[in-house]
Amino acid sequence: MKLKAKVKGDVIAAKALLKHDNLTYDQAKKKGKEANFITHITATVNDKIVYDASTSQFFSKNPMIKFKFKSNVAKAGDKLELTWVDFKGNTKSKKTKIK
Amino acid sequence: MKRREFFGLGLTALVATLPLSANDLRKEKPSAWIEKNVFDGKKPTMTGINAAIKDLYGDVKVEESGIKLKLPKVANNGGQVPVAFKSSIDAKSVAVFQDVNPESLVAVFEINDNMVVDNFLKIKMKQSGDVAIVVEGKDGKYYMAKKSIEVALGGCEG
Repeated sequence: MKLKAKVKGDVIAAKALLKHDNLTYDQAKKKGKEANFITHITATVNDKIVYDASTSQFFSKNPMIKFKFKSNVAKAGDKLELTWVDFKGNTKSKKTKIK
Repeated sequence: MKRREFFGLGLTALVATLPLSANDLRKEKPSAWIEKNVFDGKKPTMTGINAAIKDLYGDVKVEESGIKLKLPKVANNGGQVPVAFKSSIDAKSVAVFQDVNPESLVAVFEINDNMVVDNFLKIKMKQSGDVAIVVEGKDGKYYMAKKSIEVALGGCEG
């Protein structure tokens, strides 16, 4: 997973590239695998939620997401943490320093 | 002799803490996420955007204003359709829909005061169709932006 965040005036812009096949039921059937996809993504900074998404199988493969949050919740140097959970319960998180 | 009892007013400090992991909308509104049909052994049905909105938010009136939705006119790869949206509406949640896949709902964002509604994500689309963003405002109203997109190569074949 790649994660970047930068202060831009009164907002902080974050960008993330998640590594996940996000196999839909159709795709999984063709490939003879089990369907599995990211179902929930959250991001926190200083114990505050700054991103919260419930997602379906139609997020793209290795999805890229961008989001913004207000810069009064964090400053440069604080750590942004992004976590995803998939359908099978696997979870992965990453921390990054806000620039 | 009189006995008096003095009740001191004890100040209880209530510290309100927000739960770190917010609601899992997939569990709360399962009808909006069609995969349940897959488990039932039924064929998933194409629900369309309006039906999906009804599943998620109930029978609501949707106003087409207040949201900027950016989509390419043609997506070369249906597996990676870029969707960007922005809104200054004081929002409670934002949902992303499309009307070509077996399940219309793609994602629901829960918005709190720390966030700005300015997102970008990539979605899969089986064929050309519509993408819609619905914002649930704190004022109890619902706003929508809808655009159609041409998909050159479907993204669900893998």
